Amino acid sequence: MADEKRTPSPMDRVWDFFISVKLAIVTLIVLASTSILGTIVEQNQPPEKYHQIYEDWAFAIMDRINLFDMYHSTWFLLMLVLFTVNLTCCTIDRFPKMLKVVRNPRTKLDGSLEKSLSLSDRWKKKGTLSEWAGKYAEALSATFAKPKVTEEGGEVHLYAETGVASRFGVYVTHLSIIIIFIGAIAGNVAGFKGYVNITEGESITRVPVRGGIQIQDLGFTVRCNAFSLETYPSGQPKAYKSDLSIIEGGREVVRKTIVVNDPLQYKGIWFYQSSYGQAGGATAQVTVARKDGTPGSTLSLSANEPVPIDGYGIVRGVDYQQNFQGKGPALQVVVEKPGQPAASFWLVQGRPDLDRERGDSLVFSFRGLSSKMFTGLQVAKDPGVNIVWLGCALMVIGLIMAFFLSHQRVWIRLAKGTDGRVEVVLAGSASRNRLAFEKRFEKLQTGVKATGQ
Amino acid sequence: MSNVILFNLTTVLFGVASALYLGALYAKNEKISAFGTWVCFLAAVFSTAALGVRWYESYQMGIGRIPVTNLYESLVFFAWSVNLFYLVIERKYRNRTLGAFVMPIAFFTMVFAVYNDSSIQPLVPALQSYWLHAHVITCFVGYAGFAVSAGVAVMYLLKARQENAKISEGVVGLLPACKMLDELVYRAIIWGFPFLTVGIITGAAWANYAWGTYWSWDPKETWSLIIWLIYAAFLHARVTRGWHGKRAAILSIVGFLATIMCYLGVNLVLSGLHSYGGG
Ligand code: HEM
Repeated sequence: MADEKRTPSPMDRVWDFFISVKLAIVTLIVLASTSILGTIVEQNQPPEKYHQIYEDWAFAIMDRINLFDMYHSTWFLLMLVLFTVNLTCCTIDRFPKMLKVVRNPRTKLDGSLEKSLSLSDRWKKKGTLSEWAGKYAEALSATFAKPKVTEEGGEVHLYAETGVASRFGVYVTHLSIIIIFIGAIAGNVAGFKGYVNITEGESITRVPVRGGIQIQDLGFTVRCNAFSLETYPSGQPKAYKSDLSIIEGGREVVRKTIVVNDPLQYKGIWFYQSSYGQAGGATAQVTVARKDGTPGSTLSLSANEPVPIDGYGIVRGVDYQQNFQGKGPALQVVVEKPGQPAASFWLVQGRPDLDRERGDSLVFSFRGLSSKMFTGLQVAKDPGVNIVWLGCALMVIGLIMAFFLSHQRVWIRLAKGTDGRVEVVLAGSASRNRLAFEKRFEKLQTGVKATGQ
Repeated sequence: MSNVILFNLTTVLFGVASALYLGALYAKNEKISAFGTWVCFLAAVFSTAALGVRWYESYQMGIGRIPVTNLYESLVFFAWSVNLFYLVIERKYRNRTLGAFVMPIAFFTMVFAVYNDSSIQPLVPALQSYWLHAHVITCFVGYAGFAVSAGVAVMYLLKARQENAKISEGVVGLLPACKMLDELVYRAIIWGFPFLTVGIITGAAWANYAWGTYWSWDPKETWSLIIWLIYAAFLHARVTRGWHGKRAAILSIVGFLATIMCYLGVNLVLSGLHSYGGG
């Protein structure tokens, strides 16, 4: 035991620093408090905005310590590295010791162990050592767990345990953190995030990423066939959908209508419904029919755009009212025929045959406004995301193992008493939830004592 | 709307329960606090009914969804969880002095909720997701655990001062021994921490499904991480010498204050993705 005495070498002192739980506590608190800064100073905003808020000298300092993108700053990432090193060293230091304890538990209930256990009971039995050892071994297997039997110095020791997994819970939790870090790093390094608007009917093959600094080629085409918006009576958006197709090698390989919370995925690239808007001006849809009723074509009139109809004249949509004289949406149209004065009249959407009254050779009916919309898509590729989810699952499992499982152990010692009878000692301990274990121990106690009555 | 009436009734009951528990302490009379327990049971029944009615009413309005998507709903759900959590630990530890320190938290939460818009609003598409409901429910069950822990931590600090000075008098004298309080502060966090962890994970999953990034260091996300880090620090404080007891209790209270900041402050003070909480 000589090396206990000598003063720790510099290496020991460094190692002790990196395995100390106090360092973990301090790092956790420092990470927590510095993260607060990033919630007070809005992150990743254009410099002009910061100049409005902060004085120049403050801006200079904050900029130098990279406070405007602090969660990706070197000092913050260095803290995460320190944290990971601390966690790894601590695990390397403690895991083997724990493994040794779990691998060869104290199967013999000696005096010192007995004193250290609060839950214990003693009684005496007539009969032989081996007879009772067998009975109690059976009783333990039935009500608790199959015991290990060791005979030594005329005594028989039974040892049974449950919930050993609880000891590993902490290490599963700690491991899960490292897995989450790995997933996050993989995502940052090998993935991309971008945003693109696609007008109905149009398609794209490339997406601006890294905040628009780079253009990412998708390797296939994404077409927005149609976009539709559904609103609550109050006008607030209820649902908005995009009918998207993936075209590769000239063939449509995937077609899906996506909504928020239900993205489209192709070759590891995800397309999320994010926003929408009007693409260019609205157009008025007007159907044309001949006087005798035979239907003609449909015109889409942009505001004040003259549309010629051969053999007839020029038609222009000049005004639109949401509720024209109480009759609902209506379009004002101007018709110019060669050599005649321009004629203007209102077409009410609710009454498609109204125009017949004009007695013209063509009858127009207003079918309502339609505007071409664009759909705004978040585009993301994150090869590390599944690793992160694995880490998250492991963390929850680890926490449940660490907190809700308990490593429960029971010993029984049988020895030949001076009066020839068998002296029995029953004892138990639990690594966690002692209250719950006490109840279980009492039931066990009565059960074991009652065997062979 | 009748659910609001039921919630207002719950507020009154929480107030009465808190008064009974506090009264029992000052009057040193166990029987009074026994009434407190009955009032808490009653409040649990009414608030559960209120949540059910609100859920039903939202369907009637054609925007059916679990009632946990705006500030008012999250406040009342939080108070509901604190009350249930309290009833469990009161029975398990067979001690009613805890009520005087825990039930006021539920009461003040409901009082604050009354000042907020209690109407049932339709959901913008991003909020129509089961991940969201799982996220909010697990977060608030976690917060309820932290609230109980903080309440008991205050008791611990009061009692520790007396135990150090080897005196035991007045109201504080009635409180249970420091050893049990310290154990309860820890047990409440052991309950809250996994729920908060699952809450953060479901929040990240929801964000990932809704707009493709599971973590964007948005103020609300970052604050829930901050709380998580503080309670992780607490858990490690518990297993190291010298940080046991007093420092651990302080960390529990600091953690709960950070929880309040995260839960309320971020929505009202700072901008961010999570403006739903603005009520
Ligand atoms: C955010 C990161 C971390 C989380 C979520 C975490 C989680 C946990 C949990 C849940 C426990 C069990 C506590 C209990 O049984 O009451 C624990 C114990 C422990 N942790 Fe961590 N931990 C983290 C970081 C660290 C780091 C960086 C170290 C480095 C030294 C560390 C060292 C330990 C040790 C030594 C124990 C005691 C194990 C035992 O009970 O024998 N932890 N941790």
